[in-house]
Order: sequence, then structure tokens, then C-alpha cells
Amino acid sequence: MKTQRRGIAVVLVVGLLTLALVAAAAYAIDLGSIAKVLGIGWLVSQHGEQIDAFITSALGEREAAAQGATKVVPIISLGRGTHIGAAQVVGNPDNVKQVKVVVQLEGKFGNFGAKILVPTTTRTASGNPERAKGVGVSAVIEFKI
Amino acid sequence: MDRRLRVPIIVGLGLFAALAAAAALSNASVSFRSAQRDGNRVAEVLIGERVVIVLRTAAGGYTPLERAEVVANRLRAAMAEEIKTEQVEVGPLDSGHGVFIADGLTVAVTESEAEAHGATTEALARQWRDNLLLALGLEVPGPGASEQAPPPAQETPAATPAAEAPPAAEQTPPAETPPAAVDWTGAAQKWVPIFSLTGEGVSAGMAQVAGPTAQMEKVKAVAELRLNFQNFGRIYTYIPVSSISMKPQRIQGVSVWAIADVKLVNF
Repeated sequence: MKTQRRGIAVVLVVGLLTLALVAAAAYAIDLGSIAKVLGIGWLVSQHGEQIDAFITSALGEREAAAQGATKVVPIISLGRGTHIGAAQVVGNPDNVKQVKVVVQLEGKFGNFGAKILVPTTTRTASGNPERAKGVGVSAVIEFKI
Repeated sequence: MDRRLRVPIIVGLGLFAALAAAAALSNASVSFRSAQRDGNRVAEVLIGERVVIVLRTAAGGYTPLERAEVVANRLRAAMAEEIKTEQVEVGPLDSGHGVFIADGLTVAVTESEAEAHGATTEALARQWRDNLLLALGLEVPGPGASEQAPPPAQETPAATPAAEAPPAAEQTPPAETPPAAVDWTGAAQKWVPIFSLTGEGVSAGMAQVAGPTAQMEKVKAVAELRLNFQNFGRIYTYIPVSSISMKPQRIQGVSVWAIADVKLVNF
């Protein structure tokens, strides 16, 4: 009986230590690898605020930060309807809060390729997306996944 | 539970908590930025997303932003080693007070800086020391440890919500506290050139910008700044500017609606 209890205790301690090491190494893990499995939507939902703060801080260091509310949301391709990246949107705080995604429409004009970026308050990309008022794009984020 | 079982379990829990805390702290990064407070341009030093020091005045020939960069570098160097509460101290300088970490000066509080905050040099230094301790997850000495000057009234969050560097628990991330003065609802549009200089070559394109008419008249180009986020994200930031310069001056209230890009030269 005593041996069994000791065994349980040892297993508990080892388990806790393993959990602790996982916690300590969490930021050393290649998030890109995780994102390959879980996708851009997951990446943005988990790290959007961190990316937003990173951009704001980097621009702030250069005295070029936007004086408006900002937020990072996924970019959805209008044609494919899939997540193809993320965008930092900027604008009036009330309007920015309502933005769910940026819809990207692509077109070719001679040697130029144009991407129209439309912040919208819906989560899907279909038909003619309606642009959220008072909100524009301030950064585009491409993920290497 | 058997008493002999409690010991290893408690030890395990303690180790778990310690390592988890270490993991959280290892993620704290030091940065600095320019910001607008009370209508004045100031420089802020942050640990993680927490503002710990706000510099309002120039000193020693350095602008507030240059001072913030120096302070941020000193903090980064100090944080390379483990910091204990008792190593973060306030001490007198020839003129004013300083916050020291492990006997190294981290930030000096000059008379003019303290005056700009409406505080004494010692009170302001203590406030910054407490902010640093909180951001580092360390214990802040109680009122008994701050024997002399109490913190100035305007730096008490309850007295003045806009007081700078309030205790971390009451701070909000920078993105959630934008100045409300800028109008982003304008929809006047035009196309302007994008200029970016990167290690991959010189590329040029066009951006469709939109904003209030008065602001739009000032916009002459969009500066593209590329950033890398960790090892998996490349960020292209677009800054509407009134002139081509290595130090972009953003035209507020204007954002990007579309991008047309063409590669001119490949290296």
C-alpha cells in the first residue's frame, strides 16, 4: 500500500514538473508550426492583441503611431472565402470594435496588381462587402505558414 | 492523505508555480514609444504592455524619446539577470534622484522632470520604482518603506485618471486608449505612391488612401515600413505622409483602402 502511494506521489510530481516545463517553454515553441495545424483564424484570435501591440509599439518608437483605436482581424479572400492573412485596422473606437474581418478583393490592371481591402462587420466574404464606416487599414500581416 | 505524500506534492506545486511565473516574466519585453498626454508629446517606456516610465522633458542634450531609448536599453541589460525587489532602489543624485537596479542607474529624475509631473524628484523616482517592480512581478515595498515624501496627488489614479504611469493593475493596453480627437470618418479618396526601402530591393506602388478632405490634401505618399513578428509573421505597415522622409510624419485620420504594387528592381 505504501509503495503504491509513493508511486502515485512520484507520478504527480513528475506530471507537475512536465507541465511547468511546458509552460516555461511555451514561447520558445515555433508558433508557426502550431498555426500550420490550427490555421490563421486561430493565430489571429490567440495573438491578435499581441501583434496589434507590437505594431503600435514599433510605430510609436518612430513617432508614427496612429491616433485612433486599432485592432488585428483576419483577412478573407472574397473569391476563396479563406483566411489569407491579417490586417491591423484603425479608426474611431466604436467603429473599430465592430469590425470582424477585412475582405480582400484582387484585380489585375496591366503590370499592377491591386488589392482592395474592405473592413467589414460580418465574418463572411460574399457578394458585395460593405465597408465599415470610419475604419481603414494601417498594416497587413502575412504569415509564413 | 498520508503526511509523507504531502511533501512531494507541495514541492511539485511550488516548482510548478515558480516555473510558470518565470515563463510569464521571460515574455516581458522592454520597449519605448512616443505618445500624446495632456496635449503634450511625451516618451513612454514599457515592460510588456505596461507603461512604467513617462518622460516629459529633455535632459543632458537628449530629447524625451532619446532618453526613453537609453532607459529601455538599460532595462533590457538589467533584465538579462534575475532581479530581486531589494535591488530596485531609489537613491540621490547630484541633482535630483535616480532609480537604480543592482547599483546601476536606470533612470534619472531631474528637477525639471519632477516639476513637469508636479512631484518632487524623490516621489517621482519612487513612483517609477514601484511601477518597475509591479511590471516585473515583484513585491512593492509598503508605505512604511517610502518613509519620506508621499506620492504626489496627481499620480494617484483615483485622483486623476489620466495621471501617468498608474499602478499596472489599472492600466489598459495602449490600443484601447486612443486619443479621441482624430476624425477617421472622412471618405475623400485619392491614389498616392508607396515608397519602401528594404533589403529585398526597391519597390514602388500605389495606395488608395481615404480620410477627411483637409487631411487628405496633406497626404503626398504612403511610407511602407516592414516588420518581422517573431519568426512567422511579416508585417507591412502603411503610413500616410506629407513628404518622403526616412522619419515618417503620419497624417492622422487617413487610412489605406487599397494597394497596387509592382516590383521595379530585384536585387
